[in-house]
Amino acid sequence: MKLLAWLGRKVGGALVVLWLVATAIFIGVRLIPGDPAEAIMGGPGSQASAEALANARSEYGLDLPIISQYFLFLAKLIRLDFGTSYSFKDPVLQIMGEVLPPTINLALLALVVAWLLALLFALLAMRANKFGRLLGNAVEIVAAAVPHFWLGAVLIMLFSSMLGWLPAVANGTPAGLVLPVLTLALPLAGFLTQLMRDSLNTAMGSQFALAARARGESRLTVFRRHGLRHAALPALGLTGWAFSSLLSGAVVVEAIFARPGLGRSLLSAVLARDIPMVTGIALFSALVYIVVMALTEAIERLIDPAGAES
Amino acid sequence: MRRNQRATRLLTGALALPLAAALIAGCSSTEDPSANKDTKPVAGGTLVYASGDAEPSCLDPHVGGNYPQALVASQFMESLFTKDAEGKIIPWLAEKSEVSADGLTRTITLRDGITFHDGTKLTSEAIKANIEHLQDPNTASSTGYLAVGKVDQIKLVDDLTAELKLSAPDNALLESLSMPWTAIQSPQGLKRDQAANCAAPAGTGPFKVESWDRQQAVNLVRYEDYVSPAANAERASATSYLDGITWRFIPEAASRYAALQSGEVDVIDNPQPDTISTAADNGLGHLDAPRPGASNRLELNSSKAPFDDVRVREAFMHSVDVNSGINSLYFNTAKRSYSLLSSVEPLGISDDSKFTTDATKANELLDAAGWSERDSEGYRVKDGKRLTLKFPVSTNQSVPAEQSLFEQMQAAAKPVGFEVKIELLDLSSWYGALAKHEYDLVSAPYTKVGPSVLRILFHSDSTIPAPSGYFANNAQIKDPKLDQLLVDAEQTNDEAERAELYKQAQQIVLDGYYVMPLYDQQNHFLYSKNVHGMGETTAVSSPIYYNVFLDK
Repeated sequence: MKLLAWLGRKVGGALVVLWLVATAIFIGVRLIPGDPAEAIMGGPGSQASAEALANARSEYGLDLPIISQYFLFLAKLIRLDFGTSYSFKDPVLQIMGEVLPPTINLALLALVVAWLLALLFALLAMRANKFGRLLGNAVEIVAAAVPHFWLGAVLIMLFSSMLGWLPAVANGTPAGLVLPVLTLALPLAGFLTQLMRDSLNTAMGSQFALAARARGESRLTVFRRHGLRHAALPALGLTGWAFSSLLSGAVVVEAIFARPGLGRSLLSAVLARDIPMVTGIALFSALVYIVVMALTEAIERLIDPAGAES
Repeated sequence: MRRNQRATRLLTGALALPLAAALIAGCSSTEDPSANKDTKPVAGGTLVYASGDAEPSCLDPHVGGNYPQALVASQFMESLFTKDAEGKIIPWLAEKSEVSADGLTRTITLRDGITFHDGTKLTSEAIKANIEHLQDPNTASSTGYLAVGKVDQIKLVDDLTAELKLSAPDNALLESLSMPWTAIQSPQGLKRDQAANCAAPAGTGPFKVESWDRQQAVNLVRYEDYVSPAANAERASATSYLDGITWRFIPEAASRYAALQSGEVDVIDNPQPDTISTAADNGLGHLDAPRPGASNRLELNSSKAPFDDVRVREAFMHSVDVNSGINSLYFNTAKRSYSLLSSVEPLGISDDSKFTTDATKANELLDAAGWSERDSEGYRVKDGKRLTLKFPVSTNQSVPAEQSLFEQMQAAAKPVGFEVKIELLDLSSWYGALAKHEYDLVSAPYTKVGPSVLRILFHSDSTIPAPSGYFANNAQIKDPKLDQLLVDAEQTNDEAERAELYKQAQQIVLDGYYVMPLYDQQNHFLYSKNVHGMGETTAVSSPIYYNVFLDK
């Protein structure tokens, strides 16, 4: 019953957020300079005739009063109709369906790799001496701070141009995924490690850890059974945020490594003033954020029921 | 057409440095690819092409009509006419053509025995269907439809011959019909809905569109029934050597170059100037194919202060040092131009006397024009107004080197007293700024075959905006004498008279200090050493891969 009520609150909240996002996007894209009809007729600076522009306006309902356009837009959204892309003339949902899987693949892989790296770093930091800890700290801060485009360039330079181990641009093979995933995962790993290490240190120095050690458990067992749970919680709480940061990082990474995906579509849609595409991608990103946040909340409840109740 | 939709370059600058350093360190081969020129052609293999341009939303270059579309469409569509190696217009899909004495009827006869990729035969019906397709507002052509603007009616004389009735004589018509934006496609294909035709236009070229995986590649394969309009006795078979071309889009210049270096791709376009200058040392081939039409140039908006005064325009020309900037920023890969037209246009004239760097002269001119006082920051003022030049720059059209060149000009013009305000804009905002006349200086490339581009850029009619707000005459020249020359030049039947009229027209524009030529529209390609036979291009300088082969 409790779970059902929780779920109901989540879904209701999500719908309100989506409606607010949709409204914000509807207003936002109309504030961008440039005539949407022009975007339909071949992009900025088109020399389309007045007749062609008028045709486009009536075909896409751009000649209606703005308030009618808004309700028409909402009515279509309810039916999951995101409209037709101005530049590709195909339904937005269909295009998103094509470019979504590569981005989700990339982001999920990067998330997993970032978590694995973060755990590894945290473990190493626990076992390291003072100097090692200082060094680890420095590496984490640098990793968390480097921008994706710089990291991507350095990785291409190192592993592609100099060593020749990995392809510089995506080619559909697993090898082609390595550099894009690392580019996305490394900064996130640095960030997660920092979060984990603080609480790990606290947990490992706590009385129950000490008691476990006194019972004769090894440091590793204590780390696995007690430390990890405490260390993971704050990092887990931020995974929702992390996933959306991966999606925005994908805009850059997909451009550098010439990968197909949502990020690249968003970039070209913004440049081409393709309003339905921009709207669709923005709404979808909001939806992903909401779902991931709900999921992490659910996992947090599983790990630490007490914390979730309070 | 206006150069369009270059790669998104937001990251290029940051990427270029570390990569360039790595590539110099990592490469040991210094073999000159041209040494392999005599290699015997071998058939087979798929060439991977990496474009830095934005992926077109439609592969049919009639729709819209920009250079990235022309680059890829040149492989699967052909034009009625083309240019030979000497720059002369020659028939291609057309076999011959003649014009009536009054210049109002153009008769075009097609070659026999050519078929489209969809299996239909090339007949005179295709000429009619294609020109009507370009003129149909629903096609949304913004380049090709201008080229066939004077065609009023098309009469089919027989299976292979069509008669074009013109509203006025147009000696640029064959040049217009040599461009990929007016290339011929199957009338059957055109009857499909636009999305279907955009995905796979049916042309007559040596390659055909097999599939298009958006954001990944356009896959082109050899057209087995290809008939080349050019007789070539050396070839055993009329079909292309290559099995196909994988046409990729890699927006980042540094990634594109790294992929070429590591052998992941065979040919790249839009390379950075520093990589062009070191190409030979790195074992790469280089094709330099300047685009036809106008040169890259700054236009000075003469319709409002301060550039409504010719003395201020002249002062600006003398206040900046363009040559040293071009040499250093382009690593000697671009040559300074003093012409309104591209160096591939035979009728272009050059005048370097107008563009000397001379600060003393610039100061005298500005003093004489009434801009004699200076404010606390050293900029000139007149009636309380500062001598400010608004300069919107499109980051899509101006490569990083060009943006740096403009910044150098900004710095050089300051001691003379000009305040140049550069604003970096995306393409939509840039067109928006121009439409609202919020510019004093602008660089707006324009590609077209032949000198008739001068009418588009400098006739007073081109100051009247299209419904979108676009106009081509950015210098805002309204000169009845120039207008007459440009109209007469397009109507004469006499080649010598045509040249003379265009010469006079260009001199008027140069004498009025409306335009500062910079260099040809840069169009470079780098290719790895296993690529042979590069060099042939269409009339708009887009490379053709019919005679190209790989020795993998």
